[in-house]
Amino acid sequence: MTEGKKQTVAFFYCQQTPESSEQERQYLEEKYERSIRLFPIPCGGRIEPLHFLRALEEFANAAYVIVCPEGECRYFEGNLRAKKRVQRAREIIESIGLEGDRIGILSNSKENPKSLARLVDEIMCNTSRLEPSQVLNLHHSLARPFH
Amino acid sequence: MPAKYMIHTQTIPNRFRPLTKSGIIAWWEGCLGCRACVKKQCVYDVYRNRDLDVRQMIDSMDNQCMNCLRCVQGCPRELIHKSINPEYEALGDSHWTPDIIAQLWNQAETGKIPVSGAGYSGPFSGPGFDSMWTDMSEIVRPTRDGIHGREYISTGIDLGGTPKHLAFTDSGNLESEPPFLVDVPLPIILRVPPFGSLSDNTIKGWGIGARELGTFLALPNEIIKGELLALKKNLIPIISPCHPLLDDVLEGVRLVEVPWGEKWKEITQKIKEDHPSVLISCRTPLVRGVEERVLSIINSGVSIIYLEGTSSGRVTDDNSIFIKDGIRQIHVALVDKGIRDEITILVGGGLAMAEHAAKSIICGADGVFIDFPILIALECRMCRRCTKGLSCPVEIDQAEASWVASRLINLIGAWHNQLLEVMGAMGIRDVRRLRGETGRAIFYEDLDMNTFGSLGTLREGYELE
Repeated sequence: MTEGKKQTVAFFYCQQTPESSEQERQYLEEKYERSIRLFPIPCGGRIEPLHFLRALEEFANAAYVIVCPEGECRYFEGNLRAKKRVQRAREIIESIGLEGDRIGILSNSKENPKSLARLVDEIMCNTSRLEPSQVLNLHHSLARPFH
Repeated sequence: MPAKYMIHTQTIPNRFRPLTKSGIIAWWEGCLGCRACVKKQCVYDVYRNRDLDVRQMIDSMDNQCMNCLRCVQGCPRELIHKSINPEYEALGDSHWTPDIIAQLWNQAETGKIPVSGAGYSGPFSGPGFDSMWTDMSEIVRPTRDGIHGREYISTGIDLGGTPKHLAFTDSGNLESEPPFLVDVPLPIILRVPPFGSLSDNTIKGWGIGARELGTFLALPNEIIKGELLALKKNLIPIISPCHPLLDDVLEGVRLVEVPWGEKWKEITQKIKEDHPSVLISCRTPLVRGVEERVLSIINSGVSIIYLEGTSSGRVTDDNSIFIKDGIRQIHVALVDKGIRDEITILVGGGLAMAEHAAKSIICGADGVFIDFPILIALECRMCRRCTKGLSCPVEIDQAEASWVASRLINLIGAWHNQLLEVMGAMGIRDVRRLRGETGRAIFYEDLDMNTFGSLGTLREGYELE
């Protein structure tokens, strides 16, 4: 959950991402504490707009998916489909006045594959300039009991 | 005949959605929009009842899917796939495998014996307890009354030593004091695991569960306070040399545990003097050549010994020796000296399945301690995040004591039933008769040696299938 100025970013990442075992996941959680939530998925194509929207609604300031380079997906088109779904999810949040940058996709490089930790570092750097999400504020104020 | 020991179980739902072995990857791009879509034809209505658990981002369709693969095979554009779940594969470690963890979750939820379907697809043999087969020669007919019905199989054991013989005076009275024994209705004793995201409620829940089951829960002496004092009859305080003996805690307990170490004799002597009615168990690591230490413990008058292996089921000082082999050596050594009944041997460390309890007893133990299974019963994923100060993914510390107790009772109920199944199949009606019955089991190493010993040894990495 978002606490004070700490903002959470949700990461969905394909299990084929290099150096993305449970140990690396725990290392990242130790490093970023409650600022990240990591969700491994069997393929980038598993992601659906609902995953992003629910994450933004409940706890995340931004939600990103990390997929394999083009042509490297073990399900052939999972990464391509993930791109379309990210696009669709962006359209939805833009239609309610949120910045589209809160949802994104990062493809790994075919020539120089990066580890999960490096990809997360890059995304954390990009998302740090985002203002706290209005949806989370709204959601939390609605969730507060009436007095 | 004493009343039949029964453990009553009921379904206790999980607090979090369990991780599943596989997940569905369903794409809609390229969908032909068939009128009779395979998703609509799902007999379990998996696609219609979908929802998303936001805490874990787990889709309900993965939990509801029964792996019939009808949708995967039926979609004309092959848009539906099944894939191994990476989070499931990351569970536990090489000993606490994902399948063992998932089975323990299931037993704690339902209280039922896990059934994996028709046939056995696993390897012929494996390391540790997997290289043991128990005799099933009595499975020649279904028992008329059923082992879970009227047929009586005792799973009770006595803790404490018994003398070699009884001596009587001329008048026919016993010459010595009768042995002091504590009886437990099942050979499984609980133990607070070395790590876990635990709260007072968790410990209290385990204590209540131990009381309901009639067994014991071993826990550090210094944490027995407050509401736990009322459960003392079913607690085993573990005395630490660093903490003073607490007389108010020891008053009313039936059993205490003293670790082997520099001061163990002093502590033991003091407990014997101040609390003569308390049985003492001495804990010592299961190491090579521990027989000598066991003999010295017996000579000092302690009647229960707990041999502790590693959490991966090995002897402490040699990772290549499994605890089953360590137990056999000690049991045989004591039998040879004719003093086996003077001590109760409890073993623990890495016991992960009900069959491990039965097999430990066959190797020579009287009873077993289990620690991590009672944590896994609370949905623990053995991720060890709590040891690094990270948050528990299933918030075990937030669980209510009643839920903890019920999950524990379910797990032990399932294990008890499996013990009955093993003993029923072996034709053994008392778990005390199962102890050291290695003649009623086959050991792969012995079989291999007897059959192929003269041909040399198999190279590492090869196995019979």
